[in-house]
Amino acid sequence: MTIAINKRIYHGRKRANGVFLTLSTLAAGFGLVWLALILYSLFYNGFSGLSLKVFTEMTPPPGQDGGLANAIFGSVVMSLLAVFAGTPIGIMAGTYLAEYGRYSWLSDTVRFINDILLSAPSILIGLFIYVIVVATTHTFSGWAGAAALTVIVIPVVVRTTENMLLLVPNGLREAAAAMGAPRATVIQSVTWRAARAGMVTGVLLAIARISGETAPLLLTVLSNQFWSTHLGGPIASLPVMIFNFAMSPYEDWHKLAWAGALLITIAVLTLSIIARILESSRKN
Amino acid sequence: MDAVVTEKAKLSVKNLNFFYGSFQGLKNVSVPLYDRKVTAFIGPSGCGKSTLLRVLNRIYMLYPNQRAEGEVTLDGEDILHGKQDLNLLRARVGMVFQKPTPFPMTIYDNIAFGIKLYERLPRSELDGRVEDALQRAALWGEVKDKLKESGLSLSGGQQQRLCIARTVATRPEVILFDEPCSALDPISTAKIEELIDELVKDYTIVIVTHNMQQASRTSDYTAFMYLGELIEFGDTEKIFTAPTNKKTEQYITGRFG
Amino acid sequence: MADVAYESNPMTVSDTKIAAVKRSGAGDTRFRALTVAAAAIVVLLFLGMMAALTEGAWLSIRTFGASFLTSQKWNPVTEQFGALAAVYGTVVTSVLAMLLAVPVGIGIAIFLTEICPRTLRRPIGIAIELLAGIPSIVYGIWGLFVFAPYFQEHVQPWLVDAVADIPVLGTIFEGPPYGIGVFTASFILSIMILPFISAVTRDVFETVPATLKESAYALGCTTSEVVGSVVLPFSRAGVVGGAMLALGRALGETMAVTFVIGNSHRIHASLFAPGTTISATVANEFTEAVGDIYHSSLIEAGLILFFISFVVLAAAQIMLRILHKRAGGVAA
Repeated sequence: MTIAINKRIYHGRKRANGVFLTLSTLAAGFGLVWLALILYSLFYNGFSGLSLKVFTEMTPPPGQDGGLANAIFGSVVMSLLAVFAGTPIGIMAGTYLAEYGRYSWLSDTVRFINDILLSAPSILIGLFIYVIVVATTHTFSGWAGAAALTVIVIPVVVRTTENMLLLVPNGLREAAAAMGAPRATVIQSVTWRAARAGMVTGVLLAIARISGETAPLLLTVLSNQFWSTHLGGPIASLPVMIFNFAMSPYEDWHKLAWAGALLITIAVLTLSIIARILESSRKN
Repeated sequence: MDAVVTEKAKLSVKNLNFFYGSFQGLKNVSVPLYDRKVTAFIGPSGCGKSTLLRVLNRIYMLYPNQRAEGEVTLDGEDILHGKQDLNLLRARVGMVFQKPTPFPMTIYDNIAFGIKLYERLPRSELDGRVEDALQRAALWGEVKDKLKESGLSLSGGQQQRLCIARTVATRPEVILFDEPCSALDPISTAKIEELIDELVKDYTIVIVTHNMQQASRTSDYTAFMYLGELIEFGDTEKIFTAPTNKKTEQYITGRFG
Repeated sequence: MADVAYESNPMTVSDTKIAAVKRSGAGDTRFRALTVAAAAIVVLLFLGMMAALTEGAWLSIRTFGASFLTSQKWNPVTEQFGALAAVYGTVVTSVLAMLLAVPVGIGIAIFLTEICPRTLRRPIGIAIELLAGIPSIVYGIWGLFVFAPYFQEHVQPWLVDAVADIPVLGTIFEGPPYGIGVFTASFILSIMILPFISAVTRDVFETVPATLKESAYALGCTTSEVVGSVVLPFSRAGVVGGAMLALGRALGETMAVTFVIGNSHRIHASLFAPGTTISATVANEFTEAVGDIYHSSLIEAGLILFFISFVVLAAAQIMLRILHKRAGGVAA
């Protein structure tokens, strides 16, 4: 008798397990198929819209041939400015959290707020910079865009810097301190150096993160059909150009939008892959 | 104990109590550490011997909730209270840790790091000092052709000697060794013990070890600690041949610990 | 040989050491102050954001008061603004997106940690992490150019017919097939947060100590029982925290939604009807808005989004911290 009951239980459990495994696998298949479809469309449409002109010519009026040169330039300039401004602040703040303030209440607060900023809707950062920069200077500008992107860079760098510094064994800090090195020297010459690969990873991820940001730029720089190096006024950027072109009814603008989206995706993927390689070289 | 009295104490610990939060790690420890002698601390794990070492250069100050009470003097000066500058103290009292801790930089820079903390030297003089330190740590022959390689590329025993060289290079007066051989193979251990014999001519040496043979081989004085207390201190030979305390005797004959 | 000089005259070395330590001590204080200042900047950015949004929204807050939250009238011509439709759209699209993305995302995480052959684990895991980094505008234009037209032509008419006579479903899925609308926006949103949820959940699952899983398997548990009675209970706080982070993203997501939601300030029962979200409204209208009150209303909508996201993200942080404490406790 008991054996028969046990068998029933056993088969029931096996069946439940089978259903469970099938459902999980199906879920994985379902999700991965959509993601594959998106990548396929992106590469198919993106590559068919891609040509040398994309890099050499300005954004065209509707119905004409052209490229994205001015938008690429604007994106690169604003992203670089944001990284140059945001990285030092992020690294110093991350250093505070991991080194000086590791046990203080202040760092708990900073860490909490930083994690919120990290996932805060980027369009709010656009509104924020609009209110404090665009509205006060009375002009949309490349500077305002760079400021908005800086606000996005900082929390990313803070988080990775702190995480990477926390991975540095305390023995190394002790050893450097035991030689009489002041805290600043311990940090700059030893812990930063030990965490360097990881910190560079953080900066790369920050660049990847801002290179596709659209909403904040939309609210702070607008766009510009022409070549402009004047950061005091509206300049073109890839994401905003994609947004404007995709919303338009013109076929050749759509093509450029796809090409632009592909460029951004390739840039993001390349940065993430480099970051990943750096990360694994650090682990070895 | 009569031989003891004639020596000059470089460091002197009196009535030292140490707390990790509310846990008391050291209880009323008093011990002299004699100039240019090796003093070994032995005892089972958790007896407080490493804690005592970490008070001598006050490295415990890196962490909150750790505090020491009592008196520790270096050449008669109080180092536990008042305006004692921690970095200056550590410049005089160097430390070698249990696990080798080469800094993530070249072998050369590992040594130069400590020197540069205190002196601005022309390149040629710096080279000389680096070589001198590596010579003293008996490592020069093995690394002289790869000074530009990472310190992490060395073997464990070499890394530990690199750390010793690094400490020697800053010209401290006291060197603390915290179980320096516990992560090393027997050959590397022998090399480091030889090194300690050599270094004691110029430096006051304090070594924590759980290896009793090591204590008896390397030290002039031995202190036995148990449960945060100093049970017995004296001439190494005497401690190992005729300990006065029953606990000490049990420990060194391997009956516990 | 250099040592001889030093041994005979140790005081001079000590003097240079004292001087060097004094010098570096000053540098140390300065460096520390710099790091504190940088940490303060992080806090100031947050407070500044809150202050700036409140300041920008002040005109609208004074003009419309509470009716801003209860009215769905959004009329730039008469300058009457109420954000109810946008708030409703924000919540509905996010919740729908979560309903799809959370089970599928957890399924992917289970697949990756328990079912997938070992050789495929890393490549699929990496692919999902990479997808999580792809900018949302890519998902947006895919929705606009690929999904919406296909959906409009091949799925929507058929679906509307099929459920027309069923009481509740019939109302939810009715109306002309536009392709774009609340449903499409929710779907694109869920595809966009899917890699993120999967990656976070997988990381959370990996915090479960191997010995814990092994001992369950050793009792003869099946995979589903191990996941159900060990992995999920252990990592519950982390899974919830990860899902809340994803919700935070979905609530504020702009580009994946703006293209495909239709930008209509009307609340419809049907999910196939066009709608709007706060972020889509701001993205679509802000740069073309004329007049202070219009701008201020858009900023007030943003302020509402700020508070909603803050609550969700803060809850997410708290959940994740609980998980880390627990994982740390077991490791120690």
